[in-house]
Formats: sequence, structure tokens, C-alpha cells
Amino acid sequence: MSATDLLNLLIAALLLAGVYAVMSVGMTIIYGVMKIVNLAHAGFLMLGAYFVYELYTRLGIDPLLGVFLAFPVFFFIGMAVHRILVRRIPTSDQPTLTSLLLLFGLWLVLQNLGYLVWGNSDRAILTPRTLEVLEVGPMGFPTVRLVVFAVALGALAGLEFVLHKTWFGRAVRALMQNSDAGRIVGINVDRTARVAFGVGIAFSGAAGGLLAMLYSFSPDFGGPFLLRAFVIIVLGGLESFAGVAVGSLILALVETFSILALPASYQPAIAFSLLVVALVALPGGVAGLWNRRPRLA
Amino acid sequence: MKFVRNSAVFRFALLVAILVVLPLLGLGPNAVRLLFVTFVWVTVSIAWNILGGFGGQVSFGFAVFYGLGAYAAALAVNSGLHTVVALLLAAGVAMLASFVIGLPTFRLRGPYFAIATIGVSEAVRVVMTNVPMTGGASGYRILETGPFRQLDHFYISLALAVLAMAASVEVRRSKFGLALLAIREDEDAASDLGVNPFRAKLLAHALAAALTGAAGGVYAQYAAFIHPQGVFAFSIGVAILLMPIIGGVGTIWGPVIGGVVYGLIHDELVASFPQLHLLIYGSLLILIVLFEPAGLVGLFGRWFRTLASARRIRAANP
Amino acid sequence: MFRRNGVAGERALANCAKCNLRKSNSLSRPWILLLLTLVLPGCGKGNKAGTNEIAVGVVLPITGREAKPGQFQREGIELAIQQINQNGGILVRDLDKKLPVKEVFYDDGSDQAKSAGLVERAMTSDNVVAVLGGYSTALGEAESVMPDRYQTPWITTGAAASTIFSRGYQYIFGTLSPTDLLGYTTAEFLGSLVDHGQLQKGLKLALALENTDHGVDYGKGIGKWIEEHPGYFAVAFSEKFDLGSTDFSGLLQKVKNARADIFLADAHLQDYITMHRQYMQTGMYHEMISYGARGPESDARKALGDATNYIFAGIWWSVKLPYPQVKKFAADYQASVGRPPDSWYPATAYDAMRALGTAIEQAGSLNKTAIRDHLRTVELKDSLLPGQVLRFGQNGQIHTPFVIVQNEPQDKVDIVYPLDAATGEAIAPKPR
Repeated sequence: MSATDLLNLLIAALLLAGVYAVMSVGMTIIYGVMKIVNLAHAGFLMLGAYFVYELYTRLGIDPLLGVFLAFPVFFFIGMAVHRILVRRIPTSDQPTLTSLLLLFGLWLVLQNLGYLVWGNSDRAILTPRTLEVLEVGPMGFPTVRLVVFAVALGALAGLEFVLHKTWFGRAVRALMQNSDAGRIVGINVDRTARVAFGVGIAFSGAAGGLLAMLYSFSPDFGGPFLLRAFVIIVLGGLESFAGVAVGSLILALVETFSILALPASYQPAIAFSLLVVALVALPGGVAGLWNRRPRLA
Repeated sequence: MKFVRNSAVFRFALLVAILVVLPLLGLGPNAVRLLFVTFVWVTVSIAWNILGGFGGQVSFGFAVFYGLGAYAAALAVNSGLHTVVALLLAAGVAMLASFVIGLPTFRLRGPYFAIATIGVSEAVRVVMTNVPMTGGASGYRILETGPFRQLDHFYISLALAVLAMAASVEVRRSKFGLALLAIREDEDAASDLGVNPFRAKLLAHALAAALTGAAGGVYAQYAAFIHPQGVFAFSIGVAILLMPIIGGVGTIWGPVIGGVVYGLIHDELVASFPQLHLLIYGSLLILIVLFEPAGLVGLFGRWFRTLASARRIRAANP
Repeated sequence: MFRRNGVAGERALANCAKCNLRKSNSLSRPWILLLLTLVLPGCGKGNKAGTNEIAVGVVLPITGREAKPGQFQREGIELAIQQINQNGGILVRDLDKKLPVKEVFYDDGSDQAKSAGLVERAMTSDNVVAVLGGYSTALGEAESVMPDRYQTPWITTGAAASTIFSRGYQYIFGTLSPTDLLGYTTAEFLGSLVDHGQLQKGLKLALALENTDHGVDYGKGIGKWIEEHPGYFAVAFSEKFDLGSTDFSGLLQKVKNARADIFLADAHLQDYITMHRQYMQTGMYHEMISYGARGPESDARKALGDATNYIFAGIWWSVKLPYPQVKKFAADYQASVGRPPDSWYPATAYDAMRALGTAIEQAGSLNKTAIRDHLRTVELKDSLLPGQVLRFGQNGQIHTPFVIVQNEPQDKVDIVYPLDAATGEAIAPKPR
């Protein structure tokens, strides 16, 4: 393998990490704040994709703009879901099966709604940008992946800013450590949780729109991404959103370079195996390995 | 006490006897097929309930056992082994797999365990799609020798379902079952009281896997063609989980009702409204989680209790 | 529900305390179950045909991954049935009258287990004289178990893998020529381009095959031709991929590394679209590109636009074939569904139904085994398929030649091989 090929692979992995990061942020927020494993994340990815698709095909709105529009729309959808469904189940500092199953049920419903409205066939967004390739010397990079990477960086940077520089961000971080202690300190847990849920779903919807620029999608879009998102959360740990970046990078690198050794058809198994390994061997994520902070009870 | 238990057993035996006689009274082959499929679903539903309902360990990954059982039985039959031996082999292979999977994953609690089982299930599916010995993605076919006797398959599946039911009742009544219930309520407290949760979970997992594997084997022998995207599909794992939850998780009859609903109603539903089933199951799941955790069994129970108390009130106030 | 704590949990706990009154529980449940098991199976008898019509089962996917091709095949069958019934139906000698054909249709949702079950249902409770169906190899494999069991003939209009027909089944037929012939014809076409000087000798091939019998057969066909004609091509890379993936970038990276001259893939419609989009995003160039039996589909044209230009495909039928019956079929199809036939899908289904109708007529009765016997000898002399003659082979599968078509700019499609059926010249190598 020549040096150019290796570099090409490396950059491809980096761009893929961007895609993965953007897709897991939504699930990470909800998991971090409320300890809820949001399986309906896959459903919202799908809805985000169709949202951007419909805006593009019916109103001619550029998909990138559609992604930005998806953010507020899905924010309100997320808050509504929280008020109608999520609020009714008990939550704790540990994830509960009840929440898992509730959101799983929601995912099934969303999938079916997708079928009823859009039918089963794959859709894709075709813009002049879709097939464009940026040539840098002997290497070529798909323009859409560069765009998604840029958006991912922007999103993560924005999130870090909110978390560390705003009151709401501090409240969220407090709740991520211990929600009871947060209540004692005066944080309105319910309202913060609802807003956090909304933000999480907003990111899910926007991410779905970004993914729609890269892949074709159908109502059961989202399943493979869901599991990858969970791998990233587990790998990256929950100490900060830098964990999402770390987790995404690890997964992307492993997946991209594994094709050198494995036949391409085994590639999906990598994410799944990594998931099991990560859950069993690295409960604190990679960050937990060198960052053994004592946790508040 | 003994009288009540015997009368329940008597009622169950009567139900089984009726099912045994039913096909001989002129039920068409399509109805026999429907019942066959229902018995297979009831078996896996009961099996899942042992681990998930009694033990509280929610696994999304039972498709692994179903699929491994199907392939093991298919390979066995093609090698000339007798049907029942093939099923025992299927159960054995599934049980072995349950240890391999359970040993690392039972250290995880609650949703972490559930997610891990999703990962395992999908990884196994991808691997089986690529293994050449079993035909890979092209699937594997059982070479049928001799004429097709539908009733043979019907009775085998019925026998397996009865066996599963007996196992379920026996577990529930035993000290082992009590240990499982304790683990479900609070694993740490149970371990403080002397239960070995890890061992109990492994055992329950093994029993559930064995039954599920045998069910997969029964299905494989009927269908005579299996392929990984079919028997290892994530949707199978989901179905196996949905049935007992909708019927009534943790009860004896809940999984049976769930299996019947899934087997009979699903078939009709899918033939007439091909794409509504996810909506129905998803909504049922949400409603059950929010309002009636004991599923359909709980619903019936409440209904009968309301009727009974209404009757009592009317009797007291003529 | 799993832990008896929290609001819902407390309610459940309260319920369960009362649950211990075994009498009220075990009383209700077995009887409810019994009721269900007795009532529901009986409901599956809606479609039984009367004795005044000939019931033909059709099991195809119109939802799920294979929805589009399944829909087109259904339309082909229904057009044939419509035309048969316009003539009064099929003359059944034994009953001394013409009977109309009634279609018993089931959607199998592209699901293999469902498909087999629906075929079984059609053959038993719906009492059809034959079943048409099995779009795509996996569904065909699953369904092919049923015909011999219930001694009902089955014609697959969409499964081409030869393995289905190598098992000694006696009641199965197929109107799709085997896939290895597709591979062979593809290589033969490329070889003809070399002979005409449009391509150089010794070019390297990169093969991406779907992980099914279809893909295996395709690869075998190509390999056979290459072996018989040394020096023309060399296979530099060959790997299998799973149908239904969203991401082929790993595979395409390997194809890129192989630095081949010609890229040949064998895929289903959705995978063709996904893979080709990602292929374009890698910026690769190959002198010739093919996706097996996929190329001119309108969905692909819509999704990928100009990126589909110059892709060639080996297909079982093309609307451009210069036969009068093809022109008539195209016109009838357009009139019936409002659009032209898409690729080859409706034609094999249409002719399958016509062959069945002819076989029933020749059999003179509705006896399924007699119909099967006559399917074995039936010969359709005005078939739409290349060669114009439809005749089932010894193992039930037909063996008609393939045509190679190439996509041209502005949504045009030309037959480029074999040369006696060609409507245009092949463009090779592909313009950059």
C-alpha cells in the first residue's frame, strides 16, 4: 500500500468520524442528562432525513439550509415527546429498562408512520454537490463529506461552548453527575431535562438531514447508526463531549482500516463487536481508563 | 391448594387434548400451518419469559439461539440424524452459545445488557451471512427424503410448546424461580440474601436458549430452507421480546397469549394490511409500559375482577 | 414492569397481590386461548375460488426492498390475465366451457419466511391451480420448497439462480434464464469490444458480487468465459458484499486499490443506486461499468442523473427488441398502467402467465399434475423474450439468450449486443 493510499484512508476515516460524531451527539445528550437510552433516536434520524428531503424536493430549499431548519423544528418535537411520554416514567441515575422499552416502542411507531407516509422505497437527495469530488493532488474527497465534517466540528464546538460558558450548560453538567444533588443546589430538574431532551432530539433530526446528503434512506433507516452511536457513547465515556469525538474517531479508524484485513461483508460486524467489547471491558469508556475520577454516590 | 393446582392442570390437559384432536377433525392444511407457527412462537415466547419475565434480564438477542438451532437441526437432518436427535442437537448448540454470550454480558445490568445483546445478535447475523459451510447468504436447504407429512411437524411443535409450558411452570414454582424473581426485584439484595445471581442468570439463559434453539430447529425442518437474513434477523429478536411483554411479562399465561396473538393475528394482519403491524406493536408496547405493565393478562385480570366485584355488589344490594 | 418500584411498578405490584387468587386466573385464560385457536384459523379462507373460474396464485413483493420490481412483475401478470379474460377465458376441454382466470394476490413484503407461508396458503386454502411469483433469488429459494409438497406447479418470474432448479423438484419452472449465462454473456460482450478494437487486450477486471447464489453464478459465468478465452481479461479483484447495506465505501476503497480497468458488479436495484452514488463520490474511473442485470431502471436515472450514463447491463428482455409482439406488448402495457415497461421486469412475468394459460388449455382440465405435464412441453412461439421461443428446459428453467443494453445520455437506452439485435453502437471506453 502506497503512502498516498494510506493517507487517503486516514483522511477518509477522519471524515467518517465527523459523520459518526454528528450522529451520536443527540443520543449522548439525552443519555448523559437523563440516563435514558433513546432507541427512538433512529426514528428521529429517519424523520430528519425525510424532513430535509421534502424541503428540498417540494420547496427547493438547499439541504444544508434544511438541516439548520430541522434544528428548531425537532427541538419542539423533542419537548413534546418528553411532555407526552417520557415525563411519565420514573428515571434514576441508572438507565432503566422501562425507558428503553418505551422509546423502543416509539421507534416502531415512527418507522410505521414513515412507511405510511413515504412508502418503502429508498429515497435520495441529488444535488450538484452530491457527486462532486474535491481533488487535492492524487487524492479526491467527496465534497459532501467535507461539508458534514465541517458541520460536525461546528456542532461539537457549539455544544462545548454552551456546556462550559452558559448557566444552562452548567446545569446540564451538574445533572449528568448527580440529579439529586442538582435538585438540592436549586436546578429545576424537570425543566432542564425537558430542554435537554428537546436539544437531543434537535440534534438527532439535524443529523438525519446531514446523513440524507450522504446516503439513501428509507423508513428503517437509522438502525445501524443507532448501534454505532451507542458504541461511541460507551467508548468515549461521558466525562465531556470531547468523548464523543474520541469515540467517533476510534470507531471510524477501526472500521476504515479493518477493510484491509477483512472482507468488506464483515465490516458491519465490527461496530457490533466493538460495542460488546466496549460495554464489557471499558465501562467508563476510553476516557475512564486514564481518568479514574471518584464518582459521587 | 392441591385441588386448585390439579384443576388448573386438568384444564390445561383438556386444552392440549383438544389441540391434538383438532387436525384429525378436518382442519385444512392452512389452518394446521397457522397453528404450527403459533406453537413455535409460543415456545420461544415462554422461553424468553423465563429469563426476561422471571429474571428481569431483557435480551434483544434471542434470534441468535433461534437461528443457531435452525442451522444445527438442518445440518443434523442432512447428515441423516433423526428428527428428535436433530432437535436435541439444536437445543444443545443454542445452550452452548448462551454460555458464550452470557459469561461476558451478564456482568452488565439492565439496559446495558439489553444493548449488548443487540450487538451480539447483529454480529452473529453478519458472520453467519459470510460463513461458507452453511451456505452463507444463499441460505441452507434441508434435503427432504420422503413425502411431506404436515401433521408430524404439527405434533412436534405442539409437544415442544407443552414442554416449554411445563418447564415454565416448574421454574416458577421452584426455589430457582424464586431466586430469579428476587434477582429481578433487586439483584444486590438477592445476592446479599445468598442467591448467586450470575449463576442463576446463566442457568435461566441456558434453559431459555435451549427451548428457543429447539423451536428454531422445528421451524427449519418445516420450512426446509433457511437463510441468515431470515432466522437471524433483528426483527425476530424483537418479535420474541414483544410477545411475552404484550401478553404479560412475568406471568405463566402471558407469553402464551402473546404467542397466540402474534402467530394467529399477525398472519391475518400481515396478509390484509402488510405495513401496519409495527404501528400496532409499537403503540401496544408504549401503552403497556405506561399503563399496564402486566400486559394483556393484566388487562383480562382487571376486566374479570371488575365483573366479579360488580356481581358481588349486585348480590349484596338486591 | 420489571422492577416493582415507581408509579407503574406500584400499580403492578398491587395487581399482582390480587393475582394470587389462582381461581380467577386459570379459569379465564385457557378458554380464551381455545376460542382464539378455533376461530382464527378459520378466518383464513377468504379467497377460495368458485368452480366457475381458474384461480392462479401470485405471490410478489410490492412492499419492502424489492417493491418496485415486484410491482412491475405484478403488472405484467395482470395484463396477461386481463387479455386472456377479454377473450372469454381459457377453454377447459373437460368442463366444455371457457373459464376466466382469477388472480389470488399476496404481498410477501420481500420477506423470505412470509413468502413461503403465503405460497403454502395459496396452494392449500385458496386451492389455486398454479402459483406465479418468487421475485429475487432468496424468496424463490424459500418458495420452491412448496410446489412439490402440495403438487402444485410454480413458475418463478424473478429468480434466476440455477441452484433452485438443481434439486430435482418436479413442479417448478422459471422464465428467467440462468445467471451464469448472464455473466458469460457480459464477458462475451466485452470480448467482442476487444475484437472490434474499442478496448485493449489484457484489461483487468474488478468484480463486486452480491452475497447470494445470484452473485456466485454471475462470477462463475464470467470466469468460465475468461478461461475459454485466455489473454483477453484478468480478474484483479473479486469480493462479495451484502445486499441492503447503506455504506459500500469499504468495498469501493478496495476496488480503488485494485486499480482495475473495468468494474463489474452484480447487485439489486437499491444497492446499485447506493453503490453507484458512493462510487461517483470516490472519483474513480473505469473504462466500462456494469451492475449486472441493473442499469436502465428509471429509479436509478432519477436518483443519479447523468452518473448513470454509459453503464451497461445484461438483461433478460428489452423493450427495444425488434419483434412485433414486443411493440404490441409495450403499447398494451403503456395503455394499461400509464408508463412504458421498466427494464425487463414485466416481460418475464407476462410470458409466464401466457405459458401457464396455454398449458392449462393443452391439458384440457384443471388437474394440477396434468397442467405440470403440459408446462413441460409447452412452446410459446410468439414469446417476447430474446429468441422469440419460450420453452422450459429439463429442469424447469428456460435458457434464452441475454441482451446487453447501455445507458445513453438523455435517458436513452440502446441494445448493443448481440449485434443482430443491436439498435446502436456500444460506447467503449466510457468518456471521462
